[in-house]
Amino acid sequence: MIRDLKRVRNIGISAHIDSGKTTLTERILFYTNRIHKINEVRGKDGTGAVMDSMELEKERGITIASAATHCEWDNHAVNIIDTPGHVDFTVEVERSLRVLDGVVLILCSVSGVQSQSITVDQQMKRYEVPCIAFVNKCDRSGANPLKVCKQLRDKLGHNSVMLQLPIGLEDKHEGIIDLVKMKAFYFEGDNGERMVEADIPAELKGDAEAAREEMIDAVSLFSEALTDAILEEAQITEEMIMSAVRTGTIAREMTAVFLGSAYKNKGVQPLLNAVLDYLPCPLDIRNEAIDLDNNEEAVILDSDFDKPAVALAFKLEDGQYGQLTYIRVYQGCVNKGDTLINARDHKKVKIGRLIRMHSNQMEDVDAIPAGHIGAIFGIDCASGDTFVSPNINYSMMSMHVMDPVISLSITPKDNKAQINMSKALNRFTKEDPTFKTYVDHETGDTIIQGMGELHLEVYVERMKREYKAEVDTGQPRVAYRETITRKAPFNYTHKKQTGGAGQFGRVAGFIEPTEEEFEFVNKITGGRIPTQYIPACEKGFEGCLVKGPSLEFPVTGIKITLEDGAYHAVDSSEMAFQSAARGGFLEAYNKAKPVIMEPIMKVVIETPNEFQGACMGLINQRRGIIQGSQEEGVMSVIESQVPLSDMFGFSTVLRSATQGKAQFTMEFSSYKQAPQSIADEIAKKKAEEKAAKNK
Amino acid sequence: MLKSDLILRSPAKKTIGAENITNGQFGAVLSRAGVGKTGFLVQIALTRLLCDEKVLHISLCDTIEKITIRYNEGYASLVDSIGYVDAQIAERLWDEIQHHKTGIAYNNESTFTVNKIRDYLDSFKGADITLPTLMIIDGLDFDTDLSDTLSDLKQLQQDFGLCTWFSMKSHREEPLNQNGYPIQLEKYDMLFDRAVFLVPEENKTQAIVLKDGDRTDQKFLLDPASLMPVEE
Repeated sequence: MIRDLKRVRNIGISAHIDSGKTTLTERILFYTNRIHKINEVRGKDGTGAVMDSMELEKERGITIASAATHCEWDNHAVNIIDTPGHVDFTVEVERSLRVLDGVVLILCSVSGVQSQSITVDQQMKRYEVPCIAFVNKCDRSGANPLKVCKQLRDKLGHNSVMLQLPIGLEDKHEGIIDLVKMKAFYFEGDNGERMVEADIPAELKGDAEAAREEMIDAVSLFSEALTDAILEEAQITEEMIMSAVRTGTIAREMTAVFLGSAYKNKGVQPLLNAVLDYLPCPLDIRNEAIDLDNNEEAVILDSDFDKPAVALAFKLEDGQYGQLTYIRVYQGCVNKGDTLINARDHKKVKIGRLIRMHSNQMEDVDAIPAGHIGAIFGIDCASGDTFVSPNINYSMMSMHVMDPVISLSITPKDNKAQINMSKALNRFTKEDPTFKTYVDHETGDTIIQGMGELHLEVYVERMKREYKAEVDTGQPRVAYRETITRKAPFNYTHKKQTGGAGQFGRVAGFIEPTEEEFEFVNKITGGRIPTQYIPACEKGFEGCLVKGPSLEFPVTGIKITLEDGAYHAVDSSEMAFQSAARGGFLEAYNKAKPVIMEPIMKVVIETPNEFQGACMGLINQRRGIIQGSQEEGVMSVIESQVPLSDMFGFSTVLRSATQGKAQFTMEFSSYKQAPQSIADEIAKKKAEEKAAKNK
Repeated sequence: MLKSDLILRSPAKKTIGAENITNGQFGAVLSRAGVGKTGFLVQIALTRLLCDEKVLHISLCDTIEKITIRYNEGYASLVDSIGYVDAQIAERLWDEIQHHKTGIAYNNESTFTVNKIRDYLDSFKGADITLPTLMIIDGLDFDTDLSDTLSDLKQLQQDFGLCTWFSMKSHREEPLNQNGYPIQLEKYDMLFDRAVFLVPEENKTQAIVLKDGDRTDQKFLLDPASLMPVEE
């Protein structure tokens, strides 16, 4: 393992769906001799790209889990994490960006900046990760890398600067012009493995010179030497330009843009060179932890291998032989046999086996030094845990975990599936903090929550394949409520006096609506109901609220006033008055015009302005009430109140209506009376369920 | 009962007449900056909300939060003008009617387009939901050339059966024309058949009906803070 950290790069490959991340990574591994054969993502031979190791990934042609690997290029160690593009698997991007030093942001030369490009950009901002951009698929019809460079500026606010120009586009895409070296590069050989330098074609020289001028102007902001050379009309060297680009990139004040076609094996080697030239090494990045023994004061971590070790666990994989924990070491060195402390629970862990990953294959190593990524086998921890040497007590910031946006109820098909489903859910929730599960106490359903329908679909499929747990999925039941809308009296006598010990109790009063969940007012005077039985009356009334008399939903918003009653010296008891209270409640309830209440959610949609109308339409279609829409720059924020029952599937619909560019959040707002048509539907469903139960 | 009482107290009803709010082409509320154009437009909107009609309030100058505050204050002023009203009843009525209003706030005029509103209104048709009957557009700069925008809005009005009221900012130093119109109204005279000019007068605000069929040239006094009609 290369220990000179100046020659180490930890990079992520991130982009929107199908931009070519995995294809690019496959080429990188091939050109760095990590693999000896290129397999396509959706290859005819069915093998699939090496980084897509999950069967589901190969079948669907999508990356589901991030995959780590390493290679060497020009005497540099490059650790690469290939991440998924679907927003549903955004946690993989999140955890990777947390530990990487730089990112190659891939953009399609036709589609340009897309929804997940926006999300990844926000994630890069959150963790302050520098990036370079690769405009891929220049062989596609409609390819326009200059337009994409402009979109980087307009839509993502990047100071994007072209460092290359294409030699031909679409089916005429032959190579690239390097504006720093002012040379053309072509890619020869069966897999484009030979990069050939040549003079810039005469017909492109004018454009190249103009583009270079523009590029130098843009990057000169980051170099005094370059600025001086421009002003003094002195010679501008490659080193000056590269130094300026590197400074600007690491400071996150510019994004160098490269181009090519990974699928057609063009532009990958220059991109690799750019990774080394412009993306930071671990020494260029300031990493911080907090000292838990010193008032959580911030401490800067030093890549010095002799210092106490500090490592962050960013990904877990629970496998057949135990848990594999991916770590990034920030300080010191994690050696085989070391004892480390988990800063979260202060448990000691002994490092038994250290591994470097190449997709799903493991290579044993003796140590993972600072600046590198590796994995530990066989320790129990959570994602985001910090591991430190015993003599320090530091903790690092964990990664940001998004709240789930969609949920489904799942029911195992049989008993065996139930057991396996539980095992599967335990594992998945441990590995993926954006995948949650709980049992709904009201309905008894097992609910799974995730970032999107694809996310949940994949886990249901994995439950089936990896745990042999077949489950049925359905819509989660909505937690309705019942309440009353008017005052109604009751005057009920509970009497069982047929010889022997009997029961007697009379309660009289009224029920009425209230803002509180439940109120009980005792207005009994003259001992009509002995004081010792009043709590029993209250208990009897309260017991009726758990399941409403008509539709068995919890009852809320009821105030019960007890005004009168009667008792028997022998036959009255707490039980008798509880029964009397129940009877009184049931007597009054239907007279009080009960209604069904449905949960209303506050839904906030953030969308590019062009989709404002479409988003508002989606809300209107869901019985939602739009409270307002505020334009903020290029985006609109729409606030609305929508019944929960109409929100199922909304994330998918919103994504389709806005080309994936809008996002939404949803939180509980209040309960409101359901319209009569909805109430009738619910009543009908309940009746059908009851009938089915009784059969 | 409360609804009709509130409508009776509305400055919009008093000046223009409730029936004239939704009749005709465009309506305008004119004044210098800070006199109460937006407040008056809100009162116009409240009159329709109290009739259980939907209102679309578009602002090119205020945020959504500010629009909400203005409506809350406008409603409170209306309720206070009656005298004693049971707070719970008033609140319940507000809960009921405020859901009929939708506010759309734009950063500035450059991001506002009629097509955006058209898309929004089309979505009502698509979802078979009752359309708004009144659209308020607050903050358009009538010192610039708005011919295309107004032409598009006129078409929108026809297509969706809306009526539209605008705020129109006049300037102290500019003289009025022979009809007493600010220049901003004169430029687009043909498009507007209702216009109310708010003019500060001592410690009151005078609402002059510039255009409104039979009420033209009538003047009404309003309280400058609440915009409620002042008993003379």
